[in-house]
Amino acid sequence: MPSPTVQLGFAVLVAAAVLGEYYDRRALGVVVVVLLLPELDTLTGWVLAGAHRALLHNLLLVAAASGLLYYDTRVRDQSWLRERYGDWGVRVAVAALFAHVFAHVLLDYAHLEGVNLFYPVVDAFYHLEGELYLSTDEGLVQTFVEFVDPQASGQVVDAGRTGTTENVHVDSPVDPENEGPDGRPERRFPVAVYGWQLYLIAVGLFTAGAKRLQGDPPGDR
Amino acid sequence: MPPTLVNVAVGALLGAALLGAAFDRRAVAVVLAAAALPDADAALSLLVRGATNVVLHNLFVPAIAGAVLYWETALREESWLRERYGWRGCRVAWVALSTYAVAGIGFDFFTLDAVNLLWPVHDRFYAVFGRLVYSTHEGVVQTYVEVGGHPLPLRSPGTTATYHVETWLNPTPGTRNPPGVERRVRIVEYGWQAVVVVAGAAALAFRFRGEK
Repeated sequence: MPSPTVQLGFAVLVAAAVLGEYYDRRALGVVVVVLLLPELDTLTGWVLAGAHRALLHNLLLVAAASGLLYYDTRVRDQSWLRERYGDWGVRVAVAALFAHVFAHVLLDYAHLEGVNLFYPVVDAFYHLEGELYLSTDEGLVQTFVEFVDPQASGQVVDAGRTGTTENVHVDSPVDPENEGPDGRPERRFPVAVYGWQLYLIAVGLFTAGAKRLQGDPPGDR
Repeated sequence: MPPTLVNVAVGALLGAALLGAAFDRRAVAVVLAAAALPDADAALSLLVRGATNVVLHNLFVPAIAGAVLYWETALREESWLRERYGWRGCRVAWVALSTYAVAGIGFDFFTLDAVNLLWPVHDRFYAVFGRLVYSTHEGVVQTYVEVGGHPLPLRSPGTTATYHVETWLNPTPGTRNPPGVERRVRIVEYGWQAVVVVAGAAALAFRFRGEK
């Protein structure tokens, strides 16, 4: 996974964008907890092979959570969430959902072997990789989903499928793959790799800092 | 210059996060324009040799704009901006300025395309690129900061004389702009950029929901 520091940076940006005037320290706390919780499936890697990035990193969980939130706040006569925490609570729930989807599931989807998008219904890891450009020679080109020769690879559409829980293991410091020269497992904790990951951390810090410095609007605006 | 669409998407998130009570369609339009504005120096490079990622991508443009804005809104006895647009106008101006610096210049600074950060005082492109990892075997490994070689301890692909940032507006070095060359408008270069673009669009759509 891109390290939690990168996810946190991006999550602060996304959550603050959704929260708007509801932004406060408690809201940020909720978002951070929701963001870090799914990494618990890393721990299940000890007992359930390949569970990391499958159990809690799929879109079905997201769909279920969104459905539940929609039902509670829009369909029911009296929303439990709104009763208890008011409009603030509803907005924080949406912000946490946004942070989980974009800063966690989708950012992981674009990283290494990707995520098991439709687990447990379909057990397949997908990795988002490609580019999109407009060229004077080639026209509009996208390489995210490619149509390939079925005889060569056994699949017609290459949407970045990398394998199943059987054969995909996404490396993490808790459940490492590599061994060092002395035979002990080498645990690597990346803080940031490449420019953009450090950038997302920096933007998250900038957002939190700017929110702190900002004054309140005057009452007579 | 990395895709302007990604600059704008980061600008959308930053604007939605920081505008606060001043958030509305017009304010967001100003902030998005500010995120895209630095890339206008690519057009300038057709007239001025090597202007891409230089003329509008240095620290001095936002620093001077910030100083003027501070003087205008905080030091002057009567602020034109405050008179005319009130508290909202000041908030939008400050958020647009930070978006210009962070989403417009900052994003490019963290890619290998690099920006000419201290031009015109010091002519050299710089990029923040590398990795920061803690390994149980090797300890802390970082390659972002490299001392030696250049005045700033960062990676540098060259100066305006030796390095050209390729864009669809001006794909070849200099101002000749030959007609037969392939031009490529990069929209999204990597998967993570697609995630940022979708996140920006989704956040704005959510904040504008229910509005006509």
